[in-house]
Amino acid sequence: MEFSPLSSALASKSYERFADICDDIMLQVAAEGVSFQDWPYAIHLLGHIYAGDINSMRFLWKSMPSAVKENNPEVQAAWRIGQKLWVRDYVGVYEAIRGFNWSQEAQGLVAAFSDHYTKKMFQLLQSAYSTISIQDTSLFLNMNEDDVKNYVQQQGWIVDPASQMITVKKWPIVTEQKLNPSKLHSLTEYVFHLEH
Amino acid sequence: MEVLVVNIQGLSTNPGDLPNLHNILKQAHDSLHAESIRLLPLLDMLDPSLHSLGYLYILEACTSSALSKEQASAVVLPTARFMNSCSKEQIQLAPEKFISVCKRFKDYVMQLEAPMRGVAPMLAAIRKIQSSSEHLTPLHPEFLVLCLLSKCYKAGLSILDEDIFEVDQPKDLLLYCYYGGMICIGEKRFRKALELLHNVVTAPMSVITAIAVEAYKKYILVSLIHNGQFSTSLPKYTSSVAQRNLKNICQPYIELANSYTTGKIADFETVAQKYQEKFDNDNNLGLVKQAISSMYKRNIQRLTQTYLTLSLQDIANSVQLNSAKEAEMHVLQMIQDGEIFATINQKDGMVSFLEDPEQYKSCGMIERIDSSIQRIMALSRKLTTMNENISCDPMYLAKVGRERQRFDFDDYDPVPQRFNI
Repeated sequence: MEFSPLSSALASKSYERFADICDDIMLQVAAEGVSFQDWPYAIHLLGHIYAGDINSMRFLWKSMPSAVKENNPEVQAAWRIGQKLWVRDYVGVYEAIRGFNWSQEAQGLVAAFSDHYTKKMFQLLQSAYSTISIQDTSLFLNMNEDDVKNYVQQQGWIVDPASQMITVKKWPIVTEQKLNPSKLHSLTEYVFHLEH
Repeated sequence: MEVLVVNIQGLSTNPGDLPNLHNILKQAHDSLHAESIRLLPLLDMLDPSLHSLGYLYILEACTSSALSKEQASAVVLPTARFMNSCSKEQIQLAPEKFISVCKRFKDYVMQLEAPMRGVAPMLAAIRKIQSSSEHLTPLHPEFLVLCLLSKCYKAGLSILDEDIFEVDQPKDLLLYCYYGGMICIGEKRFRKALELLHNVVTAPMSVITAIAVEAYKKYILVSLIHNGQFSTSLPKYTSSVAQRNLKNICQPYIELANSYTTGKIADFETVAQKYQEKFDNDNNLGLVKQAISSMYKRNIQRLTQTYLTLSLQDIANSVQLNSAKEAEMHVLQMIQDGEIFATINQKDGMVSFLEDPEQYKSCGMIERIDSSIQRIMALSRKLTTMNENISCDPMYLAKVGRERQRFDFDDYDPVPQRFNI
């Protein structure tokens, strides 16, 4: 059974939508009664992991035939990443990514997820910590201590080698606050509605 | 039979011919039912999207008697394709037959232990039979059951996001809300789950139904997880049978809810252990475990009301965690989920609790408030229309007319004392 829309989605690197595409095609294929022997479960799982949809990832794992779960090492490796995300073993996620030789199909997705995850972890550290040890930062960001010092200094954080601590600098987020003139129209509508 | 097929092929294209075709089919009804599954080859001569009405009648006759597993297997694929491609206008001429066919289809896919096969066709079928997106059909709960069994929870969510204003059968609504609640629980959308389960528990009923009991049990647990509390008093509009009986039937859950409010995790776990078998039999053990985790969160959240800063060790002690590191991880997770506003200071081992930074002044927030107001205005208009329709309803006016003597003449516009229908 060919799954060409999946291959083209992978090739175009539109990973955000990849899991949704997989879900749709999976339901269509199921409706036709075709067997799921060759379904690319590993990249389907990775698609959900990339989109951060841990619930859908868990349900996909539960609905998989046990033959696939037991015999497909890449599926098991993808599931290990998902498990670490589910229990929020932040550092374990990196170990799970490193711990497997990914197939060509999956490599692009895994590498993109790894970058995406590191950025998200950085944002989490920025919002949650005022000071954090160099050691923890390097674990959370999957870098060795020297790389981590350079990386955070570029972002404006201050490294204190004496205490082995990093002081986090938060940049205030500036968003556009333009008010639409149509809001005035909406407000008139509301007042009219309340009067009648 | 060949004559029938020719008629179907001939009379399906022109919409003006459809009533004629429909009569022919109705007259052939009994002879079709006599043939039943032997009619299956006839379907190959017809196109499901062009000859939908005829296809429907034959399909319905095929499935009218009990089928063996092989026969069911043969009929499932044509039915799925039919549900996807049939013409909406044609099948809406015979809605009960369409619904029967779809319900039997669901039974067959369950028999074949392949519920996922039914998800996409059932969703397509709902769109064909619905008169609008606000219409709840008998197929809605069937679809949700298939989603639950095949673990395609996300597919079920799409249907749940639509507002319902028109219902065919009350039982459909109860099942829809119950299964919908279960899907929302699976997707961790607890607020919506609470809303749906609330509808089941407070629905008008003259006897207690199993659906209401099971919904109440889940309602209690989700209420603890989402709100951190549970009140045993039901709203005034709940049926009296529910008010009198639900609490007694769900006694272990009430006891669990009471132990939650103390905030002592050990007490809660004791009650959970005591009734573990019961919770397991009801398939609610997962929810009980989630309630336990939510207690840790509530206890940490309670600290923010008293302290501006607190050491990680103190948090660990107060919330009964094993170490400061564990407390740090808990706080980090809560910050990630937006359940708390705080910053961790590893150097001093302290946590500073902060105010919610939301100022409600941003464009994004205005959009949200705007869309909520629009929804409420639309709802308000609907209610006004409903109110007007009821005031013209003869049965209502008859009741008002009968009770008129009790009130002062000046309170009412002149209404005839006896309203003859």
